[in-house]
Amino acid sequence: MAYREKLANFGLIAKLLARPVTLRFRILVMPLSKPDSALLILGHGSTENPDSSQPSWDHAETIRKTGQFGSVHCAFWKEEPSFRQIWPMIEEREIYVVPNFISEGYFTRQVLPRELEIEGHTSVRDGRTIHYCDPVGIHSAMTGLLIKRAREIIDDSVKLEDTTLIIVGHGTNLNKKSTEAITDQVEAIKASGEPFAQVLDAYMEEPPFIADWQTLTDSPNVVVVPFFIADALHSYQDIPVMLGIETEITAAASQREVFRQNPYHFGERTLYYSSAIGTDSSLAEVIVDQVSYFDDHYRS
Amino acid sequence: MTLAGELESHLPAGTTLVFGQLYLTRNDESNFEACHLDDMGDKVSLVPVDSVTDLRELAKFDASGEYRPLKTAPTLKGGWKTCCDDAAEFLKRLDAIYPAVFATWIAYARGEHHPTSLRRTLDRQTGMYRFAGTISDQLANRMMRELCHPGCIRTIAWPINDDHPVSRLKAHPKHIPVICTEACTFAVDAARTLAKEAFEKANAPVAGAAD
Repeated sequence: MAYREKLANFGLIAKLLARPVTLRFRILVMPLSKPDSALLILGHGSTENPDSSQPSWDHAETIRKTGQFGSVHCAFWKEEPSFRQIWPMIEEREIYVVPNFISEGYFTRQVLPRELEIEGHTSVRDGRTIHYCDPVGIHSAMTGLLIKRAREIIDDSVKLEDTTLIIVGHGTNLNKKSTEAITDQVEAIKASGEPFAQVLDAYMEEPPFIADWQTLTDSPNVVVVPFFIADALHSYQDIPVMLGIETEITAAASQREVFRQNPYHFGERTLYYSSAIGTDSSLAEVIVDQVSYFDDHYRS
Repeated sequence: MTLAGELESHLPAGTTLVFGQLYLTRNDESNFEACHLDDMGDKVSLVPVDSVTDLRELAKFDASGEYRPLKTAPTLKGGWKTCCDDAAEFLKRLDAIYPAVFATWIAYARGEHHPTSLRRTLDRQTGMYRFAGTISDQLANRMMRELCHPGCIRTIAWPINDDHPVSRLKAHPKHIPVICTEACTFAVDAARTLAKEAFEKANAPVAGAAD
């Protein structure tokens, strides 16, 4: 599977992953120089939540400032510019497309290529060459970022041996691939040697359900990291209700004064809930690294 | 010509343009300025908003704080202006308010970007939106009448069916057209809702029918 192939191919990152305590590293060894190419970041977006597209815009701005590409754009399934509107905006003749999506599945394999009218790794469309890179969620660095998130949010006094890490995803019975990205991460975290009491996967819409976190775990502390791109409808509004830290769906994150009040106490248990992994600023480097990976592995 | 070059030629020094709910000016010193059409008469009190990021945030919510996922909804708030002296930067700022709208018009006017009929848009949908393709022409017209026309400032350039093409749109003097070359996510969603309602109505059990 793509994730494991990548882990094997990213020698430096794999070594760093073996030492997750030192994960505040720079993922990219060499910046790219592609002044004649455009970078297009694809996101889901939302017609209901104003925060869904924000990480994609933030990462685009970070990358734009580095000057590695001639231009940097975003396009969305549920916001504007849409996948269908974006091509006239881009003036470069070579375009790298990176899906800011968690898993390889329905969206990245079916919806995005269909809407962009591209096929395979490289397409020529209206005289332009379009390279379709892997989604960010399957990049090997995601494992380290998940561990970093979990470590950052728990108190210094909390022992990892007394803490269960739950990686939570959407899950859907419609597509088996949607959970594969998460189970892969859980296995990689277990293999990393991090001394968590347990590392588990859980989902909103299929078992094991995140709503059952208290029966799924038996350690005194539980840290939940949402494997989502944004702090939007699912990770910020739906899952907190399932966890029991909110009694009803709240306003969007950007519309509240306090993002979250960790930790949460449930009898003898302590729960920590982090922001979505896709909001980590390192994702900008992951996006660029998917372009490097494309050049190294898919470019003929 | 680049898109920035097109913008410069559409808006020469000393001229003005209407672009959706925006009023664009370029003074004799070639500085660009944009504000809400409602504010064109009194710009003194307008708050300068001079970054792409801040303009994108401004366009995200209407005057009452409601989220605006559709950037061409007729609800752009006023009270601000943005000024700069570089066409490429000015275009980025316009794109923050109306993403891809100027580029779409230029590509359409050049004959490089062609409208997609509603049927082709709906027929390629999968998953929960597949059912949208069953919408009748009559209901599609109703969707345009009830959703698109009051809810969006774009002028529709796509036909419902490929065999009934619509006339090509032309720019009015002193205007940059805000055109729609393909039904958006809201239209697809509305088409699905209308199609489902029609299906359920047609297949509803007949009241009083024998068991």
